[in-house]
Amino acid sequence: MQTLKLRGVNKSFGSLQVLKDIEINVEQGEFAAIVGPSGCGKSTALRMFAGLERPSSGEALAGGHPINGPGPDRMLIFQEHALYPWSTVEANVGLGLELSGVPKSERLKRVNAVLDKVNLSGFNRYYPAQLSGGMKQRAAIARALVMDPDVLLLDEPYGALDALTRLTMQNELLKIWSGSGKTMLLITHDIDEALYLADKIYVMSARPGQIVETIVPGKPRPRNRNSDSFAAHRHRIMELLGIEET
Amino acid sequence: MISPLRKVWRQIWPFLIAAGSLLLLLQLGNLQKPIVIPSVPDVFVRLFKELGKPAFWQSLSSSLYRLGIGYPIACLLGGLLGLLAGLSRSFAIYLRSLIGILQSIPPITWLPMLMILYGFGNIPIITIIIVASFFPMALSVMNATEGVNPTHLEVAKVLGARRGQLLRKVYLPETLPAFVTGAQVAFGNAWRSLVAGEMVGGVAVGLGYASSFAGEVADMKGVIMYIIVIGTIATFLDQFALEFLKRKLLHWRYIKGGGDH
Repeated sequence: MQTLKLRGVNKSFGSLQVLKDIEINVEQGEFAAIVGPSGCGKSTALRMFAGLERPSSGEALAGGHPINGPGPDRMLIFQEHALYPWSTVEANVGLGLELSGVPKSERLKRVNAVLDKVNLSGFNRYYPAQLSGGMKQRAAIARALVMDPDVLLLDEPYGALDALTRLTMQNELLKIWSGSGKTMLLITHDIDEALYLADKIYVMSARPGQIVETIVPGKPRPRNRNSDSFAAHRHRIMELLGIEET
Repeated sequence: MISPLRKVWRQIWPFLIAAGSLLLLLQLGNLQKPIVIPSVPDVFVRLFKELGKPAFWQSLSSSLYRLGIGYPIACLLGGLLGLLAGLSRSFAIYLRSLIGILQSIPPITWLPMLMILYGFGNIPIITIIIVASFFPMALSVMNATEGVNPTHLEVAKVLGARRGQLLRKVYLPETLPAFVTGAQVAFGNAWRSLVAGEMVGGVAVGLGYASSFAGEVADMKGVIMYIIVIGTIATFLDQFALEFLKRKLLHWRYIKGGGDH
């Protein structure tokens, strides 16, 4: 099981600084979220944990060890499902197992178990083009879950979904996480989504991205989106992002 | 749903009409100049006569043999070069320039040189088939490889793919449509240069040779019959065989419905 840590991280692409002095500390089994305006570098921070980017300075650590590249214990779920259109759901979800040489019969067993978990049982032979937006994202989540990672990194996974589907998917995600002991880090620009799901929310400023405040909703789940504390936190985050006047 | 038979029919009838219009022109020519231009029925009578002769089948089979060696080599070579160029920027620059030069030289131009080198026979013809048809494949695969979705690559990397696995699991399936389109364009080039090569020289058997020989002895029925044979074979291979292969290989592209986009 793993913790996630960014220590004094700066990141520049050429002369463009995208991240500045970032400190992030996600405990093992914790559900954390980063909210911020688009282009603030929050995805870049997440991609460091996935091993797809390196800090220009500072350290990115998983389980206390520096991250040198992708690893089977840290799975990234992409913004646009990124399923392979030429493969069936079964082949897409089983890809990671296939790459690591798991035999076919065991692969199928594990794929079926995880499809069941994300409510996609029976869709093995479907192609991504035959699925709705929500089902595609479920398959993408299944593709990560089947590897049984310690860490799930989610890059605006529901950004492309309609509002109703998004609410359903949020509940499903909570169900997957609760009791699993997995460490979760969610990137979102949906303030309510962060407040509904996360134990801890990092609020990031516009470029260069800096953590301006860490908010801990501290309420038991399921959370009431209309409660006073929920509204107060929402107001505070909007204030920090400069969307609402003080 | 439409029945498979009707689907096939819907593909075939435009060809029948197009072919019919060409035959109609021929028939009109026959009315104008009956001494020079044979009538359509006469040409088909000749065709059926030829179908019974071993010489005809020898022409056909030696042409198809040259195509059957040159075209697959061109596809493999073009695919390989295109893939390499898609992965390496500097090689892509070189390949684009090379193709630019090769495209400005009609493939048939190489034939005299090849005949001096290899003498009469299959090798010069097969070589110009390769020269003429590898580059549409290379260009098509190169563009597709450069355009591989970076997120698809990252997905595989996150799931633990090594270099070879990236090639097999992402690059190949993602460039397969371009490979098939490239193969279709390459086929046209291959066929044209095959027939041209056989007509110009270097061999004494083959469809191109037979048609140019018919021309030399002013055998108009034979000339027209070979035009029909050459056109029919190419149309069949391109529009039906390759099209069938395309649908078979890329069946996921022809799936519709279910999803909301």
